[in-house]
Amino acid sequence: MSFSSDVLTQLSDAISARAEAAKNAVVSVRISEGRHLTGIAWQPGVVVVSEQALPPKDEFELVAPGGTAIEAKLAGRDASTNIAILKTADSIAAPAFTATDAHMGTLALAIGANGAGGASARLGIVNLVDGEWYSRRGGLIDRRIVLDMQLAHREEGGPVFDAAGGCLGMSTFGPRGQVIVIPHATLTRVVPQLVKDGHVARGWLGVALHAVAVPDAFRANADQSSGLMVMSVVENGPAAQAGIVAGDIILSVDGISAHRSRKIARYFGGDSIGRKADVRLIRGGAIITVQTTIAERQAA
Amino acid sequence: MSEVARDIGFADRLRVAVHADDPLRRTALCKAVTDAGHMIVGEHDAADIVLADGGHPPSEVRNVIGLGIVGDRLRGALPREADTRQIDAAIRAVAAGLVVRVPVARESGFGAMRESDGHALLTPRELEVLAALAEGMTNKAIARRLDISLHTVKFHVESLFRKLGARTRTEAVAKAAERRRSDIIML
Repeated sequence: MSFSSDVLTQLSDAISARAEAAKNAVVSVRISEGRHLTGIAWQPGVVVVSEQALPPKDEFELVAPGGTAIEAKLAGRDASTNIAILKTADSIAAPAFTATDAHMGTLALAIGANGAGGASARLGIVNLVDGEWYSRRGGLIDRRIVLDMQLAHREEGGPVFDAAGGCLGMSTFGPRGQVIVIPHATLTRVVPQLVKDGHVARGWLGVALHAVAVPDAFRANADQSSGLMVMSVVENGPAAQAGIVAGDIILSVDGISAHRSRKIARYFGGDSIGRKADVRLIRGGAIITVQTTIAERQAA
Repeated sequence: MSEVARDIGFADRLRVAVHADDPLRRTALCKAVTDAGHMIVGEHDAADIVLADGGHPPSEVRNVIGLGIVGDRLRGALPREADTRQIDAAIRAVAAGLVVRVPVARESGFGAMRESDGHALLTPRELEVLAALAEGMTNKAIARRLDISLHTVKFHVESLFRKLGARTRTEAVAKAAERRRSDIIML
């Protein structure tokens, strides 16, 4: 009896010690009266936050560990990887994060900021781990990490640790409220680009697309059963300049079939900027090819 | 009393506690509850349902319906602007042991790009029919707008139901909206 109670106490103490140690890793980001998000004190003067949760503003008030209010400016955001960074007026000390790989079934400890300079803790397990994936906006995320854990909205954007204290990455919400992690590897890849340029360079055509079935009449000639229908075109963007209009069904880009959306996303990496691309599409009963010049995506 | 309440009768009058920080909001919610034929009880009384607005109630009651509160553990989650009918329906459903959610709530979130093959894609024509359904148009009106036969419209509507796994027009529109939000690719 006393033995099992000891083990539990030890476990509890260990978790508590980890959570205590992580307190100085989180910063509150005020987003409106009485509401805040969590940010990670990533490096001196740089706070990492979840892009999707951050309102479209340029200036924020932060509460540093201990309760000091600090002004911060938006220094870059990348919706494709869900990472935004704030630069602080006064430097906030950042703890050293040790990267660690996520393993299915291991404990995960997520830390949030409490709005007043303190922290809040969440314990769960790593529900599943999978390989790299592409976000809806085409960003490469190095690992799929899903947590079995409750998370409050104000805790989104905080660091997630494993049992040894290694950092898995940043917590955020996936579809249907699922708690996922933007891996440490993605943060270390993207944050320096954001610090330097304020955005991540990506190729861009300026279209919003929706997958559709190719109408039967075109199946044979199109040689594929699905395409991407243009839902809207950004004014003066590369697609608009090439004459692409809403309603066009894109079949392929430079020979890459449009239903391979991940391959297409990969094709539009930073190195694609300035490249000429042939877009094969269905318009008004005919299959035509138009040439576009891939531009650099505008900062969001 | 709402229609639902009349049909079910007095026997289904439920005891509802209202938890709201804002007194005006509390008054409005109490009115919605009594209009629906239920009885307001204190928070410390044995309530069948607790209706919570603005924050979780302090007690550990199971049957909580939150308005504008996010939390997977809530039995009922309604948007803050839910109307009397929705509140009444949610109270009865949760009291009967069901879980109530609004279909589009919290669909957003940082999600993956889907490979488009694999699930039943809609054709451009079906998307046009769907847009007309979303406007509440009848089959006849759709046929006129798209200049196709009534028979063809019915064919497309049935195909939409099958692909979206919907049984009614409203459900088809809701499911398509959900799918569309998660399937738009920005390039």
